[in-house]
Amino acid sequence: MTFKVIEEGAPKRGRAFLTSFIKNFLPATPLLLIVGFFFLFPIARLIYVSFLSNENTFTFSNFVTAAQEPYRTGFVNSIKIGLFSAAIAAFPGAIAAYFIETRGGSKLRRTIAVMSGVLANTGGIPLAFMFYAALGIQGQLTKVLKFFGWDLYAGTFSLGSFLGLLIVYLYFQLPLMVIVFSPAIVSLRREWSEAARNLGANQFNYWIRIGIPLLFPSFIASFLLLFASGFSAYATANALTVGNLPLTPLQIGGLLDGNVSASQLNLGKALGVVMILISACAVIPYLAIQRRSARWQK
Amino acid sequence: MIKSKFQLPLVFTLLILGFFVFVPMISAFEYSIRTPAKGGYGWDSYLWAIREEEFLYYIIRSTWLAGVTVLITLFVLVPTLTWIHLSNSKVRGLIDGLSLLPLVIPVVAFAVGAQISFPEFVKNTVLELPFLYFVLALPYAYRALDIGLSAIPLKTITEAARSAGANWLRTITSVIIPVIRGSVMATIALTFALSLGEFTLTVLLHWDTFPTWVTYVAQENILGAIAISMMSLILPFLLLTLITLFVPERSTQGRK
Amino acid sequence: MRAKRLIAAASAAALTVGIVALATPATAAVNICKAKNVAEAGGLDNLIKLAKKEGKLALITTPRDWANYGAIHDAYEKAFGVKVTVDNPDGSSQYEIDTMKTAPKSKQPDSIDIGPLVVAQVTPPGGKPLTSPYQVINWKDIPNAAKDPSGLWYGNYGGKLAIVYNTTLPSVPTKAADFSKAEYKGVVGITGDPTSSNQAFMSVLAASIGNGGSKNLSDVSKGLELFKAVKAQAPLVKVNSTNLVTGTAKLGFMWDFNALGVVPAAKAAGLDLKFVYPSDFVLQAPPYINAINAKSPNCANARLWQEFVYSQNKGKTAAQLTAADLKLPGSKLFALMQGGQNYFQQSGADPIMSAAMAKKKLLVPSLLDFKVPATAKVVGPATIADVLTAREQIISSWASL
Repeated sequence: MTFKVIEEGAPKRGRAFLTSFIKNFLPATPLLLIVGFFFLFPIARLIYVSFLSNENTFTFSNFVTAAQEPYRTGFVNSIKIGLFSAAIAAFPGAIAAYFIETRGGSKLRRTIAVMSGVLANTGGIPLAFMFYAALGIQGQLTKVLKFFGWDLYAGTFSLGSFLGLLIVYLYFQLPLMVIVFSPAIVSLRREWSEAARNLGANQFNYWIRIGIPLLFPSFIASFLLLFASGFSAYATANALTVGNLPLTPLQIGGLLDGNVSASQLNLGKALGVVMILISACAVIPYLAIQRRSARWQK
Repeated sequence: MIKSKFQLPLVFTLLILGFFVFVPMISAFEYSIRTPAKGGYGWDSYLWAIREEEFLYYIIRSTWLAGVTVLITLFVLVPTLTWIHLSNSKVRGLIDGLSLLPLVIPVVAFAVGAQISFPEFVKNTVLELPFLYFVLALPYAYRALDIGLSAIPLKTITEAARSAGANWLRTITSVIIPVIRGSVMATIALTFALSLGEFTLTVLLHWDTFPTWVTYVAQENILGAIAISMMSLILPFLLLTLITLFVPERSTQGRK
Repeated sequence: MRAKRLIAAASAAALTVGIVALATPATAAVNICKAKNVAEAGGLDNLIKLAKKEGKLALITTPRDWANYGAIHDAYEKAFGVKVTVDNPDGSSQYEIDTMKTAPKSKQPDSIDIGPLVVAQVTPPGGKPLTSPYQVINWKDIPNAAKDPSGLWYGNYGGKLAIVYNTTLPSVPTKAADFSKAEYKGVVGITGDPTSSNQAFMSVLAASIGNGGSKNLSDVSKGLELFKAVKAQAPLVKVNSTNLVTGTAKLGFMWDFNALGVVPAAKAAGLDLKFVYPSDFVLQAPPYINAINAKSPNCANARLWQEFVYSQNKGKTAAQLTAADLKLPGSKLFALMQGGQNYFQQSGADPIMSAAMAKKKLLVPSLLDFKVPATAKVVGPATIADVLTAREQIISSWASL
């Protein structure tokens, strides 16, 4: 093999440039083509149309309306539900992932991985039905709890309220956390825990100084992923609420695929564009953190 | 591997998780085995569902669509990710970001975007669906495979395979994939489940698959529709779990 | 010499005949997609003949158990030997509009059935209409307020809103104002989000007239107040089939014309549902609207379907048609069959032509087992203008109720 000595960071010229291009870019082409055509192209079109008025002229009016009520509350609620559902799933999920990955046998781990994969995709009417069957006003679990003296429905609790939604979202957010966070646990080398012990640290110290700092970036990264998932969840919220809890995905669904329609025809698309922007705010930090922590996972 | 002592936290965790996962499922299941006509319980709703003339047609249709999606996912992502890890390419950041984008847009908006942008010939073929499902599964599949590849000594085994004379195809299929089989199984499970259950995108693009057929059939037989939902949840679950349990174990470095 | 002239003459004659032969059926095919009434389609017999040749009718979002559509489909299929397909039976009106605008040719519907709140999108300002104009045989029997003058769209059937309730409720509800009773706490609901669901929207309107707002149909503030009072006790639940079965939802408003489908399906699931009209004010909602898609792939069937749906005839249903009947020439068979308007009438939906049909004594009895009580006043029909105003109120206030 002959080696070509190229100065690090020097701009590539001519054939070197072409080789560099091929090396750095070409193998990604199939993925980029598919994602480009089947995803970026529709989204680009959506963004383009969001700037059109009913008469197909350029306008910002869709975005002006998107910043007002009830859409503003929709954004606030959606962000809240993303944050809260991520928070209540992240901690239990991380702990569960820890025990499963470190104490579970290989068969158990793989089974849980598969189950989590299926569970993370439950949603919509089937999920709502399962919860109404268990925790609805005539649910099996509700009856059991009532027998033990706790009447869930004495107050104003309902599965279609913010709290109810959080409980139901947990059903798919928890497995998602387990799937996304488990690999971080795996990368926590046993060698480090042994090394720490050899150096005289006890369990507590190990966690405070090594374990948690190492896991923290992946934890935050997983949290952000869960946020994006809760933020944009549509079918489940649709099955549980009747517009009483304004949420942006529902508002978008109602505008793009409803029976009532608003006076501004492209409002739904504008709402979608704002959603992308908000989610981008969660995704970009996620990427930054992932890149930094990737070093430790090698 | 700590096997004998300190299993209590694990058992405790599994019990709590199990309760949370299975209580709603069992409550719903109870409805699906009700037989109001005869009183008591029975499998009538399930039998009705299976005997519906279009049940088999739609199950097969959705299964092969999901299968194609899984194939696209593996064929595209495994080589691409392998290359990304090996070459440490500069586009890695871009692709990482791209892979997360489908997560941030609600499916209904994506579907409308597809409606207004795709050319006729794409909209006319049902094969547009596996590619769209691939896009929807991308955030999860990419992550699962990426992390799986990070956890193994990829460079070492690739060089070993290549110097033993294997070409890239054999390296990927016979060496890399078996080593990351955990990630691959999780990816297959996620992608398959997502494609089988995908409703909004399918319906807005005027296609009919198993989930769309279920909502149609639900009108006349509510308990039957519940039985079908139960089947859609439990069957992929059982199937994939059985496959995982019976696929032989191969030890990997650094695990166990 | 003479042979040459003969040949020339013969060729000319053959050519002329050929051109005429080619021209005539071609003109007929082009005409059918531009036919604005049955006369331009060459008469009912010709229309039926062309429809039979096409053999397919593509409909959209018309479920079988909705306003008796299942029976209408069956009758049409049996009589004319045409295969009826329905794209996304549970779909929304917006879906229908978007399909007409963006779907590939193979997925375009022939005829649409949309709610009154999206009809404005059929005629976009400054653009081409999405539909083709057509006027059925009894065009004048459709009230003017319910149709577009040039035939681009026309009202089809309208519904009244009835109260649907689970008989396990502690007491029988009789009017909208009962919804806020304390004993119904937690199980009162609405079929969907009024800002996106037509039926839910009309439910708010029905609640409004039952809460003191019957004078002005464009103001639904009283309806919003009623639902707010219900919500103060417990959040509204979604009234759909699974929630009714689990007992999560036990009370709400629903279209009366769906009772024939909903009650038996509920019974089969072990649920005892009853429909009853409010005893004080009953809302006659604006009608659902039909139109022929401009991109309709089966032009003859699109038009024959309208003729059938707007036929006022009393006659035989699908099961009653005999083999001998099916052999009759088109228009004779058509005259024998019960018309679409009467199918709607049977389901409890009010056919748009009911006023004219009542005068001509053509209405068959409704199959609903519940009637509008003598004490109740039927309010409406609400016009499209009314509901457009109400829409703005609902969109701005529903979420913060």
